[in-house]
Amino acid sequence: MTVSLSSIILLVLLNSALDWLPTPGFAFLMDHDQRSSSATLEPHFTDCISRDQVTFRCWWSPGRLHNLSSPGTLSVFYLKKDSPTSEWKECPEYIHENRECFFDANHTSIWTPYCVQLRGQNITYFNEDDCFTVENIVRPDPPVSLNWTLLNISPSGLSYDVLVNWEPPPSADVSVGWMRIEYEVQYRERNATNWETLEKQPHTQQTIYGLQIGKEYEVHIRSRMQAFVKFGEFSDSIFFEVTEIPSNDSTVPFTLVLTFGIVGVLMVAMLIVISRQQRLMMILLPPVPTPKIKGIDSELLKKGKLEELNFILNGGGGDGLPAYATDFYQEEPWVEFIEVDEEDVEGEDKEDNYNSDTQKLLGLPHRTTEGCSTISYPDDDSGQASSDNTNLPAHDSQMLIASLLPGQPEDNEDTVDTPASETGERPLIQTQIRGPQTWVNTDLYAQVSNVMPSGGVVLSPGQQPKIQDNTSSSESKTQKGEKKNEDKEGIEEQTKNEPRFQMLVVIPEGSEYSAESDAIQTSTPPSSPVPGSGYQTIQPQPMETKPAAMPDTNQSPYILPESPQSQLFAPVADYTVVQELDTHHSLLLNPPPSQSPSLCQPQHPLKAPMPVGYVTPDLLGNLTP
Amino acid sequence: LPGRLKISPLFVALVCLAFCSRLSRMKAASICTNSQTGCHFLSLANLFDRVIHHSARMHGISNDLHSEFELYFLPSKNRVSRNCHTSTILTPNGKENAQRIAREELTEVILKLLLAWRDPLWHFHQNMARHHKFNNLSSNKSLEMSEMVHELRKGVQKVAEKMQMLGIISNSLGTLGSREALLASDSPEWRLMNDYNLLYCFRRDSNKIQNYLKILKCRIVPEHGC
Repeated sequence: MTVSLSSIILLVLLNSALDWLPTPGFAFLMDHDQRSSSATLEPHFTDCISRDQVTFRCWWSPGRLHNLSSPGTLSVFYLKKDSPTSEWKECPEYIHENRECFFDANHTSIWTPYCVQLRGQNITYFNEDDCFTVENIVRPDPPVSLNWTLLNISPSGLSYDVLVNWEPPPSADVSVGWMRIEYEVQYRERNATNWETLEKQPHTQQTIYGLQIGKEYEVHIRSRMQAFVKFGEFSDSIFFEVTEIPSNDSTVPFTLVLTFGIVGVLMVAMLIVISRQQRLMMILLPPVPTPKIKGIDSELLKKGKLEELNFILNGGGGDGLPAYATDFYQEEPWVEFIEVDEEDVEGEDKEDNYNSDTQKLLGLPHRTTEGCSTISYPDDDSGQASSDNTNLPAHDSQMLIASLLPGQPEDNEDTVDTPASETGERPLIQTQIRGPQTWVNTDLYAQVSNVMPSGGVVLSPGQQPKIQDNTSSSESKTQKGEKKNEDKEGIEEQTKNEPRFQMLVVIPEGSEYSAESDAIQTSTPPSSPVPGSGYQTIQPQPMETKPAAMPDTNQSPYILPESPQSQLFAPVADYTVVQELDTHHSLLLNPPPSQSPSLCQPQHPLKAPMPVGYVTPDLLGNLTP
Repeated sequence: LPGRLKISPLFVALVCLAFCSRLSRMKAASICTNSQTGCHFLSLANLFDRVIHHSARMHGISNDLHSEFELYFLPSKNRVSRNCHTSTILTPNGKENAQRIAREELTEVILKLLLAWRDPLWHFHQNMARHHKFNNLSSNKSLEMSEMVHELRKGVQKVAEKMQMLGIISNSLGTLGSREALLASDSPEWRLMNDYNLLYCFRRDSNKIQNYLKILKCRIVPEHGC
């Protein structure tokens, strides 16, 4: 075993060594490379090839040393070993210009060993390797009629597949089946150096996958007998290229359709809006929810039916509401009514009369100033208010003080009265002037939970319910910018006759205050005893922005500064009151502590802070100078 | 035991049923072979395609084995001058010759060749397997080769029978082929061949068989291009 193995190895090495030596003659059964490397000096055969397995040809070379290149000096002899008695015969057909010997079909036997030799005048040049059988030297012709078709293009548009088809070589009798040929397809990019080779296969078509768009490709094919070794020559190359296909066709109609669709929808919407079809409008532009006052129809207000509103607000319906309200709300500590002192109002001078309900509602300047003074910080003396009064009348319509404080009238009446002595006649201030303590416990805004027939307003939730027969206090909840105008308007009109609420709204618009009236209340059920649930509390927090920013420290045209202690009692408010606007028009939720009583001064509009209420359009007209 | 007695007749009946059905089917097959109508036969063209495909595969395997031998074992310089044991069988040497001789003769040549190689290939495979001269893959190929010769011969016999049945060729085929083939296979020449020669000779002969079958089909079954 080992001996045989070692002998085999030795023989292999010997054979490989022999291969390197130049061999005499020539063995064209070897590959072309070896053939070329073993070019010799003697005359030798260069190649013998059969194209159709029916005939074959042999070519020879005269060599270098001997001057045997002229035709006739060398002759070709062959030996066909089909019988033991076979002899060497001369080439049946010479083609001297090619140094070729052609064996036609009569002289060709397949599966029969042939040997060829060259003979000079006296010398025979023979190489034992020049023996072959015809089927082993068959090199089929390349295929013809190469053609290509585009199969598909990838969705990305970057690559495509191509089907290459061809015809078998005409010299090969494939139809009979005498030769079975398999093809090897090679392709490459136009300027590349390396060919891509596909697997050999016997069919006359092949698909090339993954070619790139925009690049030119070259394809050629060669053929070989199945289960044999030698390939034929390559066919002529074909070139093809697929460029990008503009895909605008599919996108252009799509964009057009999209554009037209959008335009159509927009037009339909516009038509609907313009035509003001109520139902469609409801669908397309649903109305903004608005607060409602019990008993007040917003639609009525819109249409200007103020009489009913006045009736309602004035406690229309007789004693029903007040009486019941009194009983109802007696137990509710948080229900607060704004007290309006009728006598004081009527006892007023003309100015006061002028400051009728509407004015009161809107906040008459001088009233408001007086009120303002009192309303200002508890720390401030009321005496300051008087000084401010003079300034106010000119800007009476400009400033409104929202002063809806549910206070604790019983508790702090004493304290309230003193500062409010000047403004006692003004119902506006009354509640406010209850003093700081009341302010502590009261919110700047309270939610009107119900309107009494007598015109009183039930506040909720609040401090002690202040129920008075003659007065009803109504508070309107001021919501920042939420509810505007229309409702206010009616209420303010009505409150001309009765001092109901009083709101001082300061709107920092330009240089003037615009009055806003907020007559709308959300009707919270009075039975909600949660303190502060409906109240607005002014958190007595130190103001960030300064009064220093204001030219007048007296400015602070807002409502109520509360002492810090009120924080403990201040219930959580549903609404926050914007106290002031600073110079940068930022909202200040708490008034600066050192606000002077001149907050009521309307002539300093900038400091005017927040709108605490709503202003109706006509009131707005009144307000603007 | 009584249960078994009860079951057994049923069992026997079932077995009888199964066998009877098989017998009936076989009978039907035999009837079918005698009659030419009403049975589903493979057409002659289809049969030819099968045997041709078989022979192509056989030639491919012989070529692979021969190449391996040339790669690992030194071929003798005098490789072409060897004699194959099938040299005694007269075979047409070219396409024209193959197209000229009678169809029966051509069929006979094919059968002779196939029969002549049955034993030598079998022994070759045994020799390879015993002495571990091949790797597993080549050993499998040699086994496959010997089996394929066997199967191909049967297939060509079927084709010949069908041709005889169809009247395409005369019935003088059977006996001659077998006799000469037996002679060839019994000759001791093939035992003297070394492995490489055997593979070389078989490669040549399998190519012959493949080409002859192609020409035979083209002559018998009319086809485009023949």
